[in-house]
Amino acid sequence: MTATRLLPSHELRQHTSEIELHIRAGTLGDLLAEAGRALGEVQLTSANCAPGGPARPIRVSSSDRAALLVDWLNELIFLADIDRWVAMDFSIDLVEETEVRARASGVTLQRAPSRVKAATFHGLRIEDVSGGLEANIILDV
Amino acid sequence: MSAYPAISLNPLVREIPVTARPDMRVPVRVYTDDLLWQQIVSDRSLEQAVNVATLPGVTGCVYAMPDVHEGYGFPVGGVAAMETDDGVISPGGVGYDINCGVRLLASDLELSAARPQLEAVVHELSRSIPSGPGRNPQLDLAAADLDRVLDEGCAFLLERGLALPEDLPNTEAGGRLPAARSACVSAKAKQRGHNQLGTIGSGNHFVEVQIVDQVLDPVAAAAYGLRQGQLTVLIHTGSRGLGHQVCTDYVRQMDQAMARYGIHLPDRQLACVPFASPEGEAYFGAMCAAANFAWANRQAITSSVRRAFARAYGATGRLKLVYDVAHNIAKVEEHGGARLCVHRKGATRAFGPSHPETPATYRTVGQPVFIPGSMGTASYVLAGNDAAMTLSFGSTCHGAGRAMSRGEAKRTRPGHEVRRELESRGIIVRCPSNSELAEEAPTAYKDVERVVDVVHRAGLARKVARLKPLGVVKG
Repeated sequence: MTATRLLPSHELRQHTSEIELHIRAGTLGDLLAEAGRALGEVQLTSANCAPGGPARPIRVSSSDRAALLVDWLNELIFLADIDRWVAMDFSIDLVEETEVRARASGVTLQRAPSRVKAATFHGLRIEDVSGGLEANIILDV
Repeated sequence: MSAYPAISLNPLVREIPVTARPDMRVPVRVYTDDLLWQQIVSDRSLEQAVNVATLPGVTGCVYAMPDVHEGYGFPVGGVAAMETDDGVISPGGVGYDINCGVRLLASDLELSAARPQLEAVVHELSRSIPSGPGRNPQLDLAAADLDRVLDEGCAFLLERGLALPEDLPNTEAGGRLPAARSACVSAKAKQRGHNQLGTIGSGNHFVEVQIVDQVLDPVAAAAYGLRQGQLTVLIHTGSRGLGHQVCTDYVRQMDQAMARYGIHLPDRQLACVPFASPEGEAYFGAMCAAANFAWANRQAITSSVRRAFARAYGATGRLKLVYDVAHNIAKVEEHGGARLCVHRKGATRAFGPSHPETPATYRTVGQPVFIPGSMGTASYVLAGNDAAMTLSFGSTCHGAGRAMSRGEAKRTRPGHEVRRELESRGIIVRCPSNSELAEEAPTAYKDVERVVDVVHRAGLARKVARLKPLGVVKG
């Protein structure tokens, strides 16, 4: 019997000096997209933001899929810091264990979001579960 | 409760012996009292210290300061020294905010003379020094100039008229680590940092106007130019987005390179490579460059503070740099005749009177150390002791240390209440958001008095003066 594919979901858990993202999704592509949405939720202080403007291409390659999740989020953090642009919606064009090519639309803010500084390898976990994948990643805030 | 057995060596030192886990190479020593110990064992900081004790080339002991708490890979408040010939270097042992540190400026003003303009001064500091994600358009550096800041640190700002000649000897390493290599700093890091010089950033960073509330060691205080009732300014910030990107870049590179060196770790955030390897040398060069950027950042902020004081108080508002010291850094130092790479993450160098790197003017009393309290609480000036060289590789604590998550802090005490409470104590607060204020409430931190008391009694550093806040510009 095939397990029902997990719907993308995330949970934010606060620790002493960090935020932990707990993400679940049916595929690696959906997991990365959901992680991106969770990051946007932490970065955006107003709930009234809607993505707009042309989609931006984002391409990240890494040594393995756990590192891919870290590098993907760090790329989004970099874009937010440099361009004051927070990605909110994702379309995954290609995903492999060590590479993702995506397009993202988002919102440009008046000031760069300063809350999240980096995605870390600390306590990083990504594993296959029934119906998809589950990951934990800790953000430096 | 700690998962590892700890032996009390004396009332202020507990040791996790090298036999506690088969992969440990050295013991872990924790400076603490009974109450702080209860907080320390409530998170994973000791497990992290034990993990550090497994790293190749680690020597002596891994030390945990009384303000230790869980970090990424390494605990915050940890000190680990590695052999430079066959040991490793780890970005996680320095932290994301490379050369986060503290500098103290001392004025000639007494509170009574300063009081009438104090609110205007704090307002001017908040207006002229960008905080949060703010950039500094006044110091938007061209690529060649940013490279000079990375390679030359405060010397570049001296050339630009943003430092006084006497500032440099009173900055750790003269505000410039000569091993810095701007070429080892990525284009991304430079993109993040080119317009961040002279900015506070966010989190627990601040510029605080204070009064010397208590002099506890009159001889050392006199040597530092401090006296009771005098106005001071404490600046706490680091290398901003540039430093974060350097750490991110090199954790990634080392994570990929470790297998080539046969290094296997209990936590990927401990990513490390041999110090004497191409990757290790590149990180050390980039880390030193980011450290130079951080010293230059605090120097640029100093220039803004001096302008605000001069505008308000004229010549009497002159500010002397007492000292500037890092608490997130890796440095090559001589210990017991060996050349070691000492990682201090959330720990402050505290060299005693006889160390050649203690500035000549402080050679009779030891290097100044600054321990910022949480927002609205007292900060401390300490003096380094020679004994610390054998007790902790010449290191001491760095601050109060978080005891509560930011979310829990906000749930415990709303920001408007924190603001009201600080103002009711006569503290002028400049922070654009009540929410961010709540995150840094004093209740979210450990008791700085107790932390400082432990390092004083353990002989790592001694108390010189207590500083009380008058005005806070929060990052």
